[in-house]
Amino acid sequence: MIEILSNAALATVQDLGRLGSLRFGVGTAGAMDDLALAAGNLLLGNEAGAAGIEIPVFPFKVRFAEDCVFALTGADCGARLDMAPLLPWWSHRARAGQVLTLGLPQGAQRASRAVLCLPGGVDVPQVLGSRSTQMRGAFGGHEGRALRKGDVLRAADPGRACRTGFGLVPPAIALPLDIDGLVALRVLPGAEYLGFETASRAAFWDGEWRITAQSDRYGYRLSGAALRPVAAMELRSHGIVPGVIQVPHSGQPIIQMRDAQPSGGYPKFGTVIEADLWRLGQAPIGSRIRFIEVDWDQAVAALEQKQAWLAKVARMVALQHSAPTGVSA
Amino acid sequence: MKLSTTGRAAPTLSLLGTTALLFEAPGAMALESQQRIWALAKEATGWPEVREAVPGMNNLMLTFVRPPRRLAELKERLAAAWETVTPLAREGRVVELPVRYGGAGGPHMADVVAHTGLSVEEIVELHSAPLYPVYALGSHPGYCYLGGMDPRIATPRRQVPVLSIPGGAVSIGGAQTGVSASAGPSGWNTIGSTTMRFFDPARDPPATLRPGDSIRFLVEGIEA
Amino acid sequence: MKKAPHELREIAGWMAATGIGFLELRMPGATVRLGRRGDEVVTLDDGPRSDEAPVAHPPGATNRFGPPVDTVSSASLGEFLHAHPCATAPFVRTGARVQAGQMLGLLRIGVLLLPVTASRAGTVAAVRVEDGATVGYGAALVDLHPL
Repeated sequence: MIEILSNAALATVQDLGRLGSLRFGVGTAGAMDDLALAAGNLLLGNEAGAAGIEIPVFPFKVRFAEDCVFALTGADCGARLDMAPLLPWWSHRARAGQVLTLGLPQGAQRASRAVLCLPGGVDVPQVLGSRSTQMRGAFGGHEGRALRKGDVLRAADPGRACRTGFGLVPPAIALPLDIDGLVALRVLPGAEYLGFETASRAAFWDGEWRITAQSDRYGYRLSGAALRPVAAMELRSHGIVPGVIQVPHSGQPIIQMRDAQPSGGYPKFGTVIEADLWRLGQAPIGSRIRFIEVDWDQAVAALEQKQAWLAKVARMVALQHSAPTGVSA
Repeated sequence: MKLSTTGRAAPTLSLLGTTALLFEAPGAMALESQQRIWALAKEATGWPEVREAVPGMNNLMLTFVRPPRRLAELKERLAAAWETVTPLAREGRVVELPVRYGGAGGPHMADVVAHTGLSVEEIVELHSAPLYPVYALGSHPGYCYLGGMDPRIATPRRQVPVLSIPGGAVSIGGAQTGVSASAGPSGWNTIGSTTMRFFDPARDPPATLRPGDSIRFLVEGIEA
Repeated sequence: MKKAPHELREIAGWMAATGIGFLELRMPGATVRLGRRGDEVVTLDDGPRSDEAPVAHPPGATNRFGPPVDTVSSASLGEFLHAHPCATAPFVRTGARVQAGQMLGLLRIGVLLLPVTASRAGTVAAVRVEDGATVGYGAALVDLHPL
């Protein structure tokens, strides 16, 4: 059981998303860095899709009301348990009364969100098959809203006694993807891609795009070269998914993120592939990103590579958890 | 223009990353096309590759359980099903919504006036006249995409989407109209407001309205 | 100075029980190389040299010319990291004072990072392995002077 000590205006309970209710207008929500959530869960022996806490704003403080194992993944934010510094991408053991403090994201990483996992996952009710917070409509997660000071969250399996004190090579290092030091994202061209001018298409792939301050879980508004359609396009409303890159009249693209509407009507330049959404979810406001054009086969291969990494994590963590004491470190 | 095997204009299929396939029906926006989309959704729901079939406005998004091994075959199957399905003529309920047009609840009425060249009274009359079939749900929980709006009041989506419009907002985006079910961002032009509970996550199904129902807007008042 | 014969036998016996094929013991003034001939462990006069390979010492070895040394050994095959991949500074440097249980480095095994910690309080005498080097089970990683 943990108590939120900070006014954590944007921290939310998320799992891997609410799938299967798009036809009622319910978007998926879910962790912006699904890889960090899955890995943190696996470190504790949870199902990869158990609910965790996504923390995008720092500092952030919680107090453990009882002895509890936990995992911290995502951005390395100089975390401390009471005064003791904690390694990132690591599982830990807290004693009742200890305070976990997350500072600012530090180091050379380009990451902006931390994920806190609890044993068994965060214990909130499932709504429409998921524990993710649905902000628009205010349901799911913890009371359908972001976390506030004083909120108390329970772990589904608080007494779990798994081996802790080890961790993972962060995927930003294990699965690197950048161009000239900038985070790069693979994109599959969309239906209206050829409806844009040749020069605009070239500028999209060749240019740097800055994630403006008007960016959040709904969408990342980018600033860069204006993308011009050959002729004005007025589309019918249609289903979309996180990663879709829309281009409104202004010519400045908006990448639909996890809390985006499940449908839209702006022209679709392309879609950031599912395998790279976690990288995008970590890219900080103010940072610049690049795009890489891929085809279907490359996009599928990327997804398989990501899933293979998670499978390795699951296997090796399971070995650590089952090894007799004294054999492993 | 591409033609299908029957000689009619062919639908457009495109990818949304590796997550979904988008099917767009050809031709003008029409209820009969939408009834065919409902039938196609019902058929595709049973396919092993498909997690969910999500109708839009004369289009259908199929989300994948996982990226299909044989994508080309799935596309062919979908295009073939489009040719052979029988349109689903759903007889739904008629729901009446009282609307206060203009004023604080309709902040973009002036933009619709400017674009269409019509007066506020003409716009209200044209907007409240039809019986609007619910084509699909989308955008946010419980939100209904409606067909049947008079093209004379069509107004393009806004240059810069508005960060938040309240639940109950009645809006026009391009050739479509709809009512917001909760507060949130929108690129549409809001011309009035109404009160109605469109969604309850504890209910099954959670949405109040479904494709095949219809909405009629009643003029409760017009404010300057 | 040569190792006493009984000490060499002890080391050879320990080596025979492992899969190690070659062992080089460096001491001030002398180097002894042990290798395999068939099933036997024998001293070599001109054996293969590998200046990069980490030298395996039995745990608790004593450098008879200096203070006692506690050697922290590797628990597995892996790569020894001086710092966390996200950090720039190493966990410890030679001469650093460490507490029992303090992190000295990490052992990277595939996707996993395992802690390498001081078994008791002391000062770091030497970091025996280069950053990122592959080490085998039982490889000496860090020498500590116990307090």
